[in-house]
Amino acid sequence: MTVIGWLQIALFAAIVGVLTRPLGGYLARVYAGGRTPLRPLIAPVETALYRLAGINPQTEQSWYGYAISFLVFHAAGIIALYGLLRLQSVLPLNPQAMTAVAPDLALNTAVSFVTNTSWQSYGGETTLSYLSQMAGITVQSFLSAASGMAVAIALIRGFARRRTATIGNFWVDLTRGTLYVLLPICVVAALSLMADGVPQTLSAAAEVTTLEGGLQVIARGPVATQEAIKLLSGDGGGFFNANSAHPFENPTPLTNLAELVLIFALGAALTNCFGRMIGSERQGWILLCVMAMLFGLGVAGLYSLESGVNPALATINIDQTTSLQQPGGNMEGKEVRFGIAGSALFADVSTASSDGAVNSMHDSFLPLSGGILLANMMVDEVIVGAPGSGLYGMLLFCVVAVFLAGLMVGRTPEYVGKKIGSSEVKMTILALICIPAATLGLTAIACIAEPGLAGLGNPGSHGYTEILYAYTSAAATNGSAFAGLSTNSPFYNLTLALAMFVGRFLVIVPVLAVAGSLAAQPILPHSSGRLPTDRALFVCFLFGVIVIVGGLTYLPAVALGPIIENLQMLGGTLY
Amino acid sequence: MFDVIMLALVIVCFALAAAYASFCEHLLGSSPGKDVSL
Repeated sequence: MTVIGWLQIALFAAIVGVLTRPLGGYLARVYAGGRTPLRPLIAPVETALYRLAGINPQTEQSWYGYAISFLVFHAAGIIALYGLLRLQSVLPLNPQAMTAVAPDLALNTAVSFVTNTSWQSYGGETTLSYLSQMAGITVQSFLSAASGMAVAIALIRGFARRRTATIGNFWVDLTRGTLYVLLPICVVAALSLMADGVPQTLSAAAEVTTLEGGLQVIARGPVATQEAIKLLSGDGGGFFNANSAHPFENPTPLTNLAELVLIFALGAALTNCFGRMIGSERQGWILLCVMAMLFGLGVAGLYSLESGVNPALATINIDQTTSLQQPGGNMEGKEVRFGIAGSALFADVSTASSDGAVNSMHDSFLPLSGGILLANMMVDEVIVGAPGSGLYGMLLFCVVAVFLAGLMVGRTPEYVGKKIGSSEVKMTILALICIPAATLGLTAIACIAEPGLAGLGNPGSHGYTEILYAYTSAAATNGSAFAGLSTNSPFYNLTLALAMFVGRFLVIVPVLAVAGSLAAQPILPHSSGRLPTDRALFVCFLFGVIVIVGGLTYLPAVALGPIIENLQMLGGTLY
Repeated sequence: MFDVIMLALVIVCFALAAAYASFCEHLLGSSPGKDVSL
């Protein structure tokens, strides 16, 4: 570990911290329909879209109506993207003459991007036309992020409102999130990335003659625009197969830092937006504190493990010390441009945030580091998460925490003035149980089914971790890959699509039900019997609940993978 | 043929998700405002 490495991590955390409050205030104004600097420019477009779609922005929906709108919109999105991928060979903007995507891969890809997962069983530059990348992948990255934020805002309204049957209008929230939040930030981010060397062109791949006289084909395309929303949306699907390890997606350490900030910015800001909308910014900071503690634990663990001595290499007398000539530690699968700190930070941010972009190969991390990446996803992506999903995941854990605290001390569970009754607890458990059920159930099937085992790149505990990671990533809508597992087969394409579907839609429906149930309640007056949720004690309690619930759910599964692999590595067995 | 199967899968999954939403509404309706038993 180096001081510069820690400074990189601290600088990133400081930038996100500084951005949280202004961006949170902006989000609160946007979703309340208030005045913003961009309003004069965007409001006419917004109004025109409502007229075109026949939407009355003044009309609000019940939670059920909101949920059905959400489902219908995304069903249409999957069908549209599937059709685009199947027909890309006969559509324009296909200079590399890409053929139609296979049916099972097209379905997997469509579900992946509509659910904000971005699991990729394909290599972007060798599979998709420019039209598929721009009108398919990029568009769905915008819409899936905007719909995730809409769900979080609907849940916040549930906490903030009193005695009302409605939680907002899905179409209005979706439109505002896209036009006022995602588009303006992406325009600035894409231009900045282009200035740093990320290509943005509709020209075909460049063909160059190398110094040795050979012919090299260099893939390129409309990368910068996709890169910006890939990071901001928490989507993470790269234009290139190597994702943010590719120099055209992430050319410099500066772009690496900017990409990290883009991944975390909206998720962190939504905590402040929550605080503002319920009338207590302090409540938002409490949530961010818990996220920061979980994040800090992960990044410290990853950086120290990856920059430490690899015991397997120590036995054959390889010098692993950090010096001016070498970075030391475990550099396998990492970009020299980013080093261990830049790679460990990116891996932690990516798995904590539900983004899933990578700038190093997670398969090459040490076993316990792989366990940390799994743990980040297994706590339901509440460590900032994707825009929206991180906040509503964290609020579900708040419901569990106050419920448990209520059971322990004999008080009626309350959170920010709302009584947590049996309805809210039932819906919360329903939402929280979907992801582990999909992850563990499908992992078990893949571990015994012939087509599941056929995709393995490594035997033993490492191979098992590859399977566990794939389903964890899909169900948590993360999308990062451990690598090593060949998932472009009908079995993996369909089962991973199922995991993504469950992890997104079967979680969001009960979240909206909680929002509806809370909105119908009055806001209780403050009483001395209420568990204070704006104190350091609640930060520790919530942190403990998340760790214990995650641990109880997944520890046996993780023990069979990274933990056993680490013990085997210490005993000299490598995979 | 495969396209029809894939699209049918999507429609079935979303129909199930809509039924799931109705189930949640039923659960909420069956216990409006009920306290958690402590």
